[in-house]
Amino acid sequence: MGPLIANGYIDPAWNNVIALLVGIAFGYILEASGFSSSRKLAGVFYGYDFVVLRVFMTAVMVAMIGLIYFSYMGWIDLGEIFILPTFMTSIIVGGIIMGLGFVLGGYCPGTSFTGVAIGKLDAVFFTGGLYLGIFIFSMIFPWVEKIYYGGEQGPVTVMETFGISRGLFAFLFVIATLMAFFVASIVKKKVKNIEL
Amino acid sequence: MQTIKEDRSNQYINPYFGGVLLGLLLLITIFITGRGLGASGAVKSTVVATVERVAPAYAQDHGYLKKFISDDQHPMNNWLVFETVGIFIGAFLSGLFAGRVKKFRVEHSPKISVKTRIIFATLGGMLFGFGSQFGRGCTSGAALSGTATFATAGLLSMAMIFGGGYLFAYFFRKLWI
Amino acid sequence: MNKTYFFPIVLIVILGIGALFLPESTYTEEVSPDQLFLEINDPSRFVTTEQVARAIIEGDPTILIVDTRSSDQYKAFYLPGSVNIPLEELVDSTGKINEKWENYLGIEGMYTAFYSNGDVCADQVWVLCTRLGIKNLFVMKGGLNYWVETILRPKPPAQTAPSEEFALYDFRKGASMYFGGGGAIEVETQIAEPITPIRKKKKRVISGGC
Repeated sequence: MGPLIANGYIDPAWNNVIALLVGIAFGYILEASGFSSSRKLAGVFYGYDFVVLRVFMTAVMVAMIGLIYFSYMGWIDLGEIFILPTFMTSIIVGGIIMGLGFVLGGYCPGTSFTGVAIGKLDAVFFTGGLYLGIFIFSMIFPWVEKIYYGGEQGPVTVMETFGISRGLFAFLFVIATLMAFFVASIVKKKVKNIEL
Repeated sequence: MQTIKEDRSNQYINPYFGGVLLGLLLLITIFITGRGLGASGAVKSTVVATVERVAPAYAQDHGYLKKFISDDQHPMNNWLVFETVGIFIGAFLSGLFAGRVKKFRVEHSPKISVKTRIIFATLGGMLFGFGSQFGRGCTSGAALSGTATFATAGLLSMAMIFGGGYLFAYFFRKLWI
Repeated sequence: MNKTYFFPIVLIVILGIGALFLPESTYTEEVSPDQLFLEINDPSRFVTTEQVARAIIEGDPTILIVDTRSSDQYKAFYLPGSVNIPLEELVDSTGKINEKWENYLGIEGMYTAFYSNGDVCADQVWVLCTRLGIKNLFVMKGGLNYWVETILRPKPPAQTAPSEEFALYDFRKGASMYFGGGGAIEVETQIAEPITPIRKKKKRVISGGC
């Protein structure tokens, strides 16, 4: 059955409409969870607010388990979904830079959009920064091209990388997530409460 | 007699509940479209579109932007851009119902000035934008959606972004606490 | 930790354990048996030898002719422009179409006609492919045996036959000359190389990313 559009159940002309609707739901959920506040977001790095951890890990966990069950019921062909291709070096470099950007700016692209929507000026500047950052990247691309393509492995799945089954990965992720929540609760109690 | 309007602006939904909703949304999105969510891609499309408009020769010559220019479709006419427009709308609605839509304000820790916050927000954005190209996405696209679809790149991206954050957090703690 | 979280946590752990032990489904999308039954009983899948001959002569790029016999038989004699997909090599061990044929079978917009010596073998290939959801598939009725009778060595109709039969005979005569018929089935007079259409599989590519 799924993915529905690729298998012809839904006309591809609806693609952008679906994108819009998905985005509205996405934005609503993010903002309602508190992701429009840069101070709440940065809290995960300092222990005073773990909303990022809780929402993020729960979401991945639910989606992952959902996909496994959907696949088992024959509702989706997991071989047809888009798998982000691995570029080892590039992703490591990019991730660390993004981490720094996250700590300095207190936002990530999706959440900065939610901040803009409710009138947070710092989110506006963050978004402007995003634009500049990407623009600068495109300008110096020839010099970093090798890093950009470094460690190319193609669309690799964790099953292939670690040699475990999908179910095992999902199960381990569930356990890791629950443990992380437990640790987070303890840390939060110990850290000085920040008035947001 | 005065009726005090309840200030709900600090009330957010339970994060676990929000996570479940987000996870279900992600699941449904993958079920329908075969791909996950995203965010930084829309900004990239904006860069491509504006550069192409302002200096088309530059865009054609430069290896990176050229990759995203196709002859028959405007660079802004893609899934992510529409999704991003949706994000603005959805967030606005949520903020509206919660009383969080107010005039423009800068959110900052009381320990730093507005100017400092703005400078670092811009700087953070630039770094994040720059890094997102290497990372093939941001937290929403690469980390969230990637890991949910069992992509190694997703897991790696998630580890590196948050790892990187923790790595640098101590040095910039004055910004937040 | 909060008591209200007790049930959700138990639930997710149970689901997680379930996911752990769920078998990896070898999910092959198949046409339902009822649908398949209907399609098998529909005779419109048969095409005549004349239709196949016309397709080859006109060089219609949207029509693919497939020889479903073994490769030895194919080498001995084949219809010009046809591709050899032997029945034994059609599907792989998981029941999906063998990757070898992904440039030929299942391409959107292509019409495919299977043939074999009779039509049993071709029909079997037709059933397998239809079951896997491939559309626009046909079988040449009578197969190569009938091809020889009608195209290569057409018999003139009786004098009292209706004019359509004469028109058909004229077409067959023309086709016979095109295909080098007139008695001997000689490979040498055929076109040397089968024109293999290499149409890149235009599946709806799912793109994604940030």
